[in-house]
Amino acid sequence: MHTDPKYNRRIFFKQLLAGSALLTAGMQTSCKNKNPLGHITGGIVGANSKAGHLLRNIDALPKPSRQINADVLIIGSGISGLSAKRWLHQSRIKNVMLIEMDDHFGGNAHHGKNAVSAYPWGAHYIPVPDSRNRELIDFLKETGVITGFDDTGVPVYNEYYLCMDPEERLFINGMWQDGIVPEAGVPAADKEQYRRFASMINEFKIAVGTDGKDAFAIPLDHSSADEQYRKLDKITFGQYVRDLGFTSKSLLWYLEYGCKDDYGCNLETTSAWAGIHYFASRKGRGSNTGAAGVLTWPEGNGFLMENLKKQSDNGDIFSSQLAYKIQEHESGTEVYVYDVNRKESYTVLAKKVLMASPQYVNKHLLGGLGSAIREKAVADFHYAPWVIANITLSKMPRQRGFPLCWDNVIYGTASVGYVDANHQGLVNSIKRVITFYLPLVNEQPDVARRKALATKYEHWLEIITAELEHAHPGITECIEHADVWIWGHGMIAPCPGFVWGESRRVAAAPIANKVFFAHSDLCGISIFEEAFYQGIRAAKEIIQSL
Amino acid sequence: MEKTKSQPTNRVGILSHLLLLLSVFVIATCGLIYELIAGTLASYLLGDSITQFSTIIGTYLFAMGIGSWFSKYLDGDLLRWFIRIEILVGIVGGCSAPILFAIFEHVASFRLVLYTFVGMTGILVGLEIPLLMRILKNNFVFKDLVSNIFTFDYIGGLLASLIFPLVLVPYLGLIRTSLFFGLLNIFVALLLLFRFKEARQYRNRFIVIISLSVIVFLVAFAYAEKIMAYSESMTFQDKVIYSKSTQYQRIVITKNNRELRLFLNGNLQFSSADEYRYHEALIHPAMQALPNAKNVMVLGGGDGLAVRELLKYPQLQSIKLIDLDPGMTRLFQKNEMLTQLNKHALNDKKVQVINTDAYNFVRTDSNKYQLIIIDFPDPANYSVGKLYTNSFYKEIYRILADDGIVVVQSTSPYIGRRSFWCIDHTIASVGFLTMPYHTYVPSFGEWGYVMATKNHSWKNDGTFAAGLRYVNAATIRDMMFFPPDMAEVPTEINRLNNQVLVHYFENDWGPYAH
Repeated sequence: MHTDPKYNRRIFFKQLLAGSALLTAGMQTSCKNKNPLGHITGGIVGANSKAGHLLRNIDALPKPSRQINADVLIIGSGISGLSAKRWLHQSRIKNVMLIEMDDHFGGNAHHGKNAVSAYPWGAHYIPVPDSRNRELIDFLKETGVITGFDDTGVPVYNEYYLCMDPEERLFINGMWQDGIVPEAGVPAADKEQYRRFASMINEFKIAVGTDGKDAFAIPLDHSSADEQYRKLDKITFGQYVRDLGFTSKSLLWYLEYGCKDDYGCNLETTSAWAGIHYFASRKGRGSNTGAAGVLTWPEGNGFLMENLKKQSDNGDIFSSQLAYKIQEHESGTEVYVYDVNRKESYTVLAKKVLMASPQYVNKHLLGGLGSAIREKAVADFHYAPWVIANITLSKMPRQRGFPLCWDNVIYGTASVGYVDANHQGLVNSIKRVITFYLPLVNEQPDVARRKALATKYEHWLEIITAELEHAHPGITECIEHADVWIWGHGMIAPCPGFVWGESRRVAAAPIANKVFFAHSDLCGISIFEEAFYQGIRAAKEIIQSL
Repeated sequence: MEKTKSQPTNRVGILSHLLLLLSVFVIATCGLIYELIAGTLASYLLGDSITQFSTIIGTYLFAMGIGSWFSKYLDGDLLRWFIRIEILVGIVGGCSAPILFAIFEHVASFRLVLYTFVGMTGILVGLEIPLLMRILKNNFVFKDLVSNIFTFDYIGGLLASLIFPLVLVPYLGLIRTSLFFGLLNIFVALLLLFRFKEARQYRNRFIVIISLSVIVFLVAFAYAEKIMAYSESMTFQDKVIYSKSTQYQRIVITKNNRELRLFLNGNLQFSSADEYRYHEALIHPAMQALPNAKNVMVLGGGDGLAVRELLKYPQLQSIKLIDLDPGMTRLFQKNEMLTQLNKHALNDKKVQVINTDAYNFVRTDSNKYQLIIIDFPDPANYSVGKLYTNSFYKEIYRILADDGIVVVQSTSPYIGRRSFWCIDHTIASVGFLTMPYHTYVPSFGEWGYVMATKNHSWKNDGTFAAGLRYVNAATIRDMMFFPPDMAEVPTEINRLNNQVLVHYFENDWGPYAH
């Protein structure tokens, strides 16, 4: 029997290959779902405040049906509002009331919790503070974050709250490296620039202006007025470092990472003064930690926020209460408030009103009270939009290089990486919650904000998983749940000219000794310490005026 | 008459006839070997050997049925089909173990690949015997044919089942066994190709395939160790008698005629031959000084061997064992071989086994203990490293009775000299008085412990439990002496926010890692 040899050979090879084809198919079917994100539960849980949007049409709100009297009314329960409340409480000022339009407290220190871990919805750490920042040191002592002082008077920190080791890592050139300053595969010439930058920063750290104040301090209002430093606020950070001959791509990446991380800005939208402040203002000390030490909690700054609230809550702090109009009254100031749950309005007649709300909200409330100068100043306030996702993982997938840290940054990506919420948890958990931070820096804030609010959940998932997959192939499979929060006005942007310009001082000035202001946007940088300081400053002003 | 009929005809000579029967024998041996390899490999990698073996055998037999059924559709040159299938069996069966080992950690659904392999091998093997019967049907009376083929088939089966555990796995290992039998199958094909004139027209083509596969197989044979190391660092010298991946770790128990060894994630935890030295040294120096102790807590030590030593003291009323992994404690409560070793310690009514995270348990516990035994794995990573920090020892200080004693297994003071003294200094930093000591455990080497008290309550003049093989007052005096090559070195304190111990440990043990 003669058969065509070609035909037979073909069949033979086919059969031979059938085995391997079947195997490959077997391996791949398990990886290829029709919709690779279909198994992930969750959604957009926070976007621009629903209650806040009622401000756009206040005529539709019901007329006030009753009136409450208060000595001080605080509007807003972010860190500055709570800090002011605590200060007034500790100063024994009676009849103080605090209202918050959202159904939760804390502003950017908002936090959540699921079966795996507590997690932050915003700010998640503070650096160990400068020991000259007495108010903050006292607060940390009261909350048990500082457990005592050593023989030389240096604070001893609660070691459950100091960020545990390993602290941070960077994914670069296909591997995780220890620390986030790019090292792996970085040329020697670049490292020389790193050294030059580091020594420059070290000089700024100890620099003192002609007025004897630190060049860069927290709170920043304690910084020197010396023009040689303040003039740095007039140019961009990008311009500044380029003029000094810093050209290393990885160094510039690192500097921009700093701007994104703290300000939600990039090198071209951050003022040089603010850019340097990020690196040169951390001067804290601890008997059991260095100046680079940070304090953090699974729920992020939610821990500090809850403690602030606990220390000031007299049953006079209320959520879901939207202040929608403020007007003068012969015996003080009248604030119209809408109770979102009861769907009714009332007025608060307050001797003093503290607006611990951001200026983009205040301009709607103040109406005729605000002067033209004030309105002009407020137009200078720009806010960086952010997207934050809390992602529950069934496990951390295999990875190359340095093990999981508290802060995990991926080189050359849009986000500033993710934080392991379980890191401070001590319990050996296989399931994890990671908090993913994405500042939207590549477009004008209002454009980015509008686009972000129009973007669907599925699209955010695609963006987030694409970034994570880059460093953790196969992580998408491990994602069980992912919630996304859009912060339309995430934080005040320290654009050139803003920190040492007139606008924030104009916006912070009290109106008629009746309406006061406290918010981190009045500092130009959105960090806990500034908001905490703003609250105390405003509370002191109020006490003096009473 | 039948006798003459059963004589080989001219078409297939006596030699060829024997050759074909020999191939039945080889096929049967190879077939069973592939099945055993798949079963062993599955129980090794996936754990739960009963389920693995049972489902693999079932799938394999079923696939053979499919093969047999398909055999009726093969027509034409049967000898050619047979050779072809023989080569395919060799390739698929031969590379099954190396491929399965290599991909184990890299594919999401390992089982799917495993059963695809088992199914393919089964189908091909199932094709062989019916084909062979059809080839030989003209040369034999049916009853002789059936009897001959199945006789050789079953003898092959017996041979396979004997040499697999006794010779192949111990001497060749799974990967080489698999490759070796693949080569054997291919060799049969080669033999048939040359023995039969009919095969001449396609001989050259098949030879190319065969040579290519043989080269690949030989290379793989030479690099079998590398494949193995790639899949997992599992260079166990002895027979693996138990292996299971729990949620937290991979438990492997090996056995030779002298001892039983327990490995967690590839690290030796004890050898039954000398663990008494380790555990007597862990327990008795402290217990002889605690005649009134009632409550004891053991952290780690899910093997129950430390608890076994504790139970030698009748004054103890309650022993709490905190071990993260229920898979581990359950094994040492249920497995007969292991309960013999720990004398059913974990089933004793004084003993309470709690499977939870030790840090969290200690942090929230408010009881007082006269003795706390800390027997964690070495601080090789950050999550274990937390359990060696000053913060953790502060919690221990809080729950230890004023006249109580803590004993901490503290890695080797010889190899991990800085690690050992770092543990000692960290314990001392929270207010304990430490008494470091060490002993020689043949299977580990020089091993260290730190005993700690809140005051100077410890004395070496108490009564020991009866029947100890190693520890007495003189041994304890000896153990407290540190020769110069293990003497104290300065170290930092291990804290949650620096985890220096993990770094020391990496550096100390780095040169010994393979």
